[in-house]
Amino acid sequence: MEITINIDDPNPLFAQLIEQIKQAVLNGDCSPGDALPSIRQLANDLDLNSKTVAKAYRLLERDSVIQTRGYRGTFIHPDAKANCTVDLNAWVTNKLTETIAAFRQAGVTDSEIRIAFGNVMNERGNQGA
Amino acid sequence: MTWSSMLFYIIFAGQIFLMSYYIPRQLLRRMDCIHKKYPRSEYPKLYPKSKEYYTIAHWLFKNVYRGILVLGVIIFILLMTVVDHSTFADDGFISEFWPMLYGLIQFAPLLILEFSGYSQFKLMRQLNTSKTRKAELRPRRLFDFISPWLFWAAVLILLAEIVFDFYIHGFVVEWNHDTVQRTIVITVTNLFIWAVGAWNLYGLKQDPHQAMEDRNRQMKLQLTTMFYASILLSLFMMTQAADSAFDLDFLDAPLLSLYFQIIAYFSVGYLIRNVRLEDINFDVYKADAPMT
Repeated sequence: MEITINIDDPNPLFAQLIEQIKQAVLNGDCSPGDALPSIRQLANDLDLNSKTVAKAYRLLERDSVIQTRGYRGTFIHPDAKANCTVDLNAWVTNKLTETIAAFRQAGVTDSEIRIAFGNVMNERGNQGA
Repeated sequence: MTWSSMLFYIIFAGQIFLMSYYIPRQLLRRMDCIHKKYPRSEYPKLYPKSKEYYTIAHWLFKNVYRGILVLGVIIFILLMTVVDHSTFADDGFISEFWPMLYGLIQFAPLLILEFSGYSQFKLMRQLNTSKTRKAELRPRRLFDFISPWLFWAAVLILLAEIVFDFYIHGFVVEWNHDTVQRTIVITVTNLFIWAVGAWNLYGLKQDPHQAMEDRNRQMKLQLTTMFYASILLSLFMMTQAADSAFDLDFLDAPLLSLYFQIIAYFSVGYLIRNVRLEDINFDVYKADAPMT
C-alpha cells in the first residue's frame, strides 16, 4: 500500500497524510492491527519534517484510527474503520453553528461573539501553557 | 623460498588479480553497458552531472586501476627478489604490511566511487522538480530483508570471537594487549556496520527516482553483504588471535590478503552478481517518467 502527497496541494501536508491513511483504512488496504511505518521512516521516505508526520499520527491517534503501543510501534486501531467516518472538524463546525445561532437569537452581536470566543480561547491557551 | 612464502605469493597474486583486474573490469563493463543501453538523451534523470564528468570519471577509474595493477605486479616482483623481509618483521616472515598497504590502495577508488555516488544522489534530489512524493505504508524491519539466521550468526560469531580471543590469551585485560585492542576494533567496526545498516533501512531515500521494488532489493543486498562482512571480520579476527597465541605468525600476511579478497568478493562482487541490470526499472529516469 502506497501513499502519495502533493507538496503543491493547498491542503496542509499533515491533512493529506491523515486523509490518505483514513482512505487506506476505508478501502480495506489497511486492516485493524496492521503496523504502520515509524514517524522517522515515513518522514524520510516522503522527505518531510518529522514534526509534520508526528502531527498527523497524533491527530489520527486522537481520532482512534491508529494506536501507539510503546516501543513496538504504531498500528491500525481495532475500530479504525468506524472511527474514520467520524469527522471531528464537521462536528465542531456543527456545534459552533448551533451555538452562534443561539447567541444571535438572544441578541448578541457578531463582534461580541468574536471577542468572547477570543477571550475564552486565550484563557484556555494560557491555562494550557 | 619457503613454503610459507610460496603460500603468500599465491594468495597475493590472487589479490592483485581479483581486486585490481577482475572486479574493476566487471564494474567498467557495467558502466559501459548502462551508458549504452540507457543513454543520457533518453534517461536524463540518471545523469545529474555533465557528460564530461562521466567521461573523465570513467577514464580515471579505468586508468587508476591499470596503474594499481602495474603497482601490484611491481610490489610482487620486489617482494620476491629485492625486499629484505627481516627489516619489516622481526620473525623474518613476509610482513602483513604489504597486503594491507596494497589492499587499502585497491579499495580507495571503490570508496571514492561510493562517495561520488552519494554526491550524485544529492544532486538528483536537488534537481528533482516533482511535486508528488510516494511512500510505502508499512514499516521496514530488518528481518524483512535478511534472514534471522544470518543476523544471529553474525551476533554469535562476534561474541564467540571475543570469548575465544580472551580464552586463548588467559583472559588478560590490559589496554596495550592485542586481545583488548582486537576487541575494541571488532566492536567499533560492528557498531559502524550496524549503524550504516540502520541508516540504509530507515534513512533518507537517496535516489529520489528509484522504484520501490528496486530500493527494497538494493536494501536486501546491502544488508546481506554487511552481515556477511561482519561474520568475515569476526572469523578473520579469530585467525589473528590464534596466530599470536600459537606462534602462527607466518600466516598473518597470507590471511590478511585472503581476507581482503573475500571481503571484496562478498561485497562488490556479490552486488555485481546479484543486481542484474535487466531487473532494474530504468524507466523512472526518463524525462517524462511519473514520480515513483
